[in-house]
Amino acid sequence: MANQDAQYSPGVWGWLNKRMPVQKFMREQLLEYYAPKNFNVWYFFGSLALVVLVMQLFTGIFLTMFYKVGDSSAFDSVEYIMREVDYGWLIRYLHTTGASAFFIVVYLHMYRSIMYGSYKAPRELLWLFGMFIYLALMAEAFMGYVLPWGNMSYWAAQVIINLFSTIPLIGPGLVEWIRGDYGVADATVDRFFALHVVAIPLVLLLLVTLHLVALRQVGSNNPEGIEIKGNLGADGKPVDGIPFHPYYTVKDVFGIGVFLTLFAIVVFFVPTFGNLFMEEANFEPANPLSTPEPIAPSWYFTPYYAILRAVPNQRLGALLLLIAVLAFFFLPWLDRSPVKSVRYRGALFRGFLAIFTVSFLTLMYLGLKPATGAYVTAARVAAIGYFSFFLLMPWYSRADRTKPVPQRLRSHA
Amino acid sequence: MTDAVVTGEQSEVDQGRRKFLTVATAATAAAGAVFAISPFIASWEPSERARALGAPVTVDLSKLDVGQMVTYVWRRQPIYIFKRSPQMVASLPTHDARLKDPQSKDSEQPSYALNERRSRRIDIAVLIATCTHLGCLPKQHFDVGDAVLGTDWPGGFLCPCHGSRFDMAGRVFNGSPASTNLRIPPYSFVNENTLLIGQDESGAKEAA
Amino acid sequence: MRNVILAVVVLGLAQCLQVSVAAEEGPGPLAWEEWHAGNEVANTDSLQRGARNFVNYCSGCHSIKYMRYSRMAKDLKIPTEQLKAYLLPAGATPADYFQASIAPADAIAWFGKEPPDLSLVARSRGPDKIYRFLKTFYLDPSRPTRSNNLVLNNPAMPPVLSDLEGVKAAVFKNKQFDHFVSVSPGQMTAEQFDGFVRDTVNFLDYAGEPAQLNRLSIGVWVVLFLLLFTWLAWLLKKEYWKDIH
Repeated sequence: MANQDAQYSPGVWGWLNKRMPVQKFMREQLLEYYAPKNFNVWYFFGSLALVVLVMQLFTGIFLTMFYKVGDSSAFDSVEYIMREVDYGWLIRYLHTTGASAFFIVVYLHMYRSIMYGSYKAPRELLWLFGMFIYLALMAEAFMGYVLPWGNMSYWAAQVIINLFSTIPLIGPGLVEWIRGDYGVADATVDRFFALHVVAIPLVLLLLVTLHLVALRQVGSNNPEGIEIKGNLGADGKPVDGIPFHPYYTVKDVFGIGVFLTLFAIVVFFVPTFGNLFMEEANFEPANPLSTPEPIAPSWYFTPYYAILRAVPNQRLGALLLLIAVLAFFFLPWLDRSPVKSVRYRGALFRGFLAIFTVSFLTLMYLGLKPATGAYVTAARVAAIGYFSFFLLMPWYSRADRTKPVPQRLRSHA
Repeated sequence: MTDAVVTGEQSEVDQGRRKFLTVATAATAAAGAVFAISPFIASWEPSERARALGAPVTVDLSKLDVGQMVTYVWRRQPIYIFKRSPQMVASLPTHDARLKDPQSKDSEQPSYALNERRSRRIDIAVLIATCTHLGCLPKQHFDVGDAVLGTDWPGGFLCPCHGSRFDMAGRVFNGSPASTNLRIPPYSFVNENTLLIGQDESGAKEAA
Repeated sequence: MRNVILAVVVLGLAQCLQVSVAAEEGPGPLAWEEWHAGNEVANTDSLQRGARNFVNYCSGCHSIKYMRYSRMAKDLKIPTEQLKAYLLPAGATPADYFQASIAPADAIAWFGKEPPDLSLVARSRGPDKIYRFLKTFYLDPSRPTRSNNLVLNNPAMPPVLSDLEGVKAAVFKNKQFDHFVSVSPGQMTAEQFDGFVRDTVNFLDYAGEPAQLNRLSIGVWVVLFLLLFTWLAWLLKKEYWKDIH
């Protein structure tokens, strides 16, 4: 006890570490955190999601400094940001592009988990926290979309809130309660602002923390789906693991560089991204007397929107939409396969994964198209493909002819 | 199979290159962070709207009598404009000894107002009203021998917050918490009866 | 009135000659829906002409309520004296927003509705659509404005550019628009008018997002910088990953 201070280096760094385990934390989380050596390109998207989250928080905080909430001031204040605040246009484009980028990296991150069975034991909780992040992100994106109070903002709020009217008994009253008026109005945009800038970001930060804590506990999965903790060396370290720092820090820095380059190209050269990241109709102020035509939700919601429209019954459509989102939560328990990674699964799983992939992308495309004729038929077919992936999983994941999984990782990608 | 990591002690690893690349990448990232942060810092500057609202303000002097004062707002700052009688102006140098900065050497004013009366024109005084101490608005006490300020008061301003006193040229008296004279904005005269606050030259030549 | 009579004659003639015209003119109907504005926001001269066109022909009824004259003058490199002499309405200061000369109440009385603000029209409709709109006015004696439009059927807006373009009539085949026929010439040739419309659309494109002038030039440097950073990070990654086998 007497020479306890000896372990601390002299100077400010030692002073700090004696009072707070900064160095210990960094050593444990980075140098002594062993990650599988065979991460491929799909493993960039977790760190990229974190980068986008930080960017959204930062740009969002600055936007709140200039944005004026309220049905009569919101639209004007957004144009004020675009024209009269120095670099306000850049801050806003970073935020709008960031919203879409968030969904791109999160969808790829989720797809990675489905391909390599990362949701399977012991990572069920990690997956659930991720899914709650996805839900919170959807709420965050929707409410943020309403804030500029353009005509798409207004009608998005109108349509999405009306989804709640399909809930039996309490539906109509609930819709009024959410809006705070007899229609989408000033009260609605005010409360969405509060939720968008304070409440949901706090929830997101909490969930992201829990997601990371759970990740640290179980460790990362990898493209082979082999637990590296099953093969410890004489020194007690996983033989197929490498310290997160410096190997994955430098790799992630490179990934961030590629991502930021693509991101900057969108922000500076195609911020509306061909009507996908910012819709033309949202450059007109909210008009309760005129629904924009054509109308489609933001691209990241279109798969669910296409499912909703494919069903010729209001309540059933809304229910299927809900199931389509929540189905992801049950993946860890729907999947009965003894192996994790698609690399060792059989033709059945690969076939259903292909059906799911094609269905999801088809639905995404169809959600941007009018709900007429062949589009609706196609959406029905794709919806069946989408749901079959989940509903039939207990069967095909067990019936699948899997390949034997090796004990050790092959060399890194 | 060997362990995943072959530690960097092997001869083939060029530690110099490793260090150089680490420093180069970190330095580029740091430069990038500075670039990235600058638009956010710039966004706090007065916006186009603030700059537009900060445009020069025109004041009509035709109805301003001697001993009378009007207040205008220019760039969110109250501006006192008042007309002094020849006697008031003449008395200004007589109390120089009681002032902290009689020559306005340490005070802020445009060069054309750096004179004994601190004005372009002899009669018209233009002052930024915010007290140079902590920003309150000094009150008008133009009467000589004012009841509050004593028989030797030559006329001027008294700040209600912390008691700073200024004369009819905005010069601060000894014993005040403020240490410099009231500031003077750029201004000019468009013609005999029109004052432009916030702009140095407006075509018309100085009258005085 | 003379125009109307002329139009009726021309339209009648065109209807009679419809078959033979179609036979003689090989190509199909005028593909106006495929017209592109082809405007270049980087072309400052074009923007200056467009600003002048807007002030002379549009600002009587239309405002650009988010745009200050001073901002435009700065971006378009218009000296303050010229701004005041040619573009600024009487009584306005350079820091004011572009306002329409007409009072809203008068506008409603004359046109039935208030002419829309054009701040964001190029963003909500796109430059191509404005270009097509301005170039497809045609004579329609049945309407109060004696004019109709292919993009916007029965527009409240009168054909304010007909003095420049001339008056043209539309020939329909089987109720489908086919082509235009000139009724009376305007002050401009077809090429001049096309340039006039393109400049005006260009100005509206700029007005929809004034920041785009800086956005593109800053973007080049940002992307180049990020490429440099990514290249360094790639070298660094490769260097460290030599350890991993």
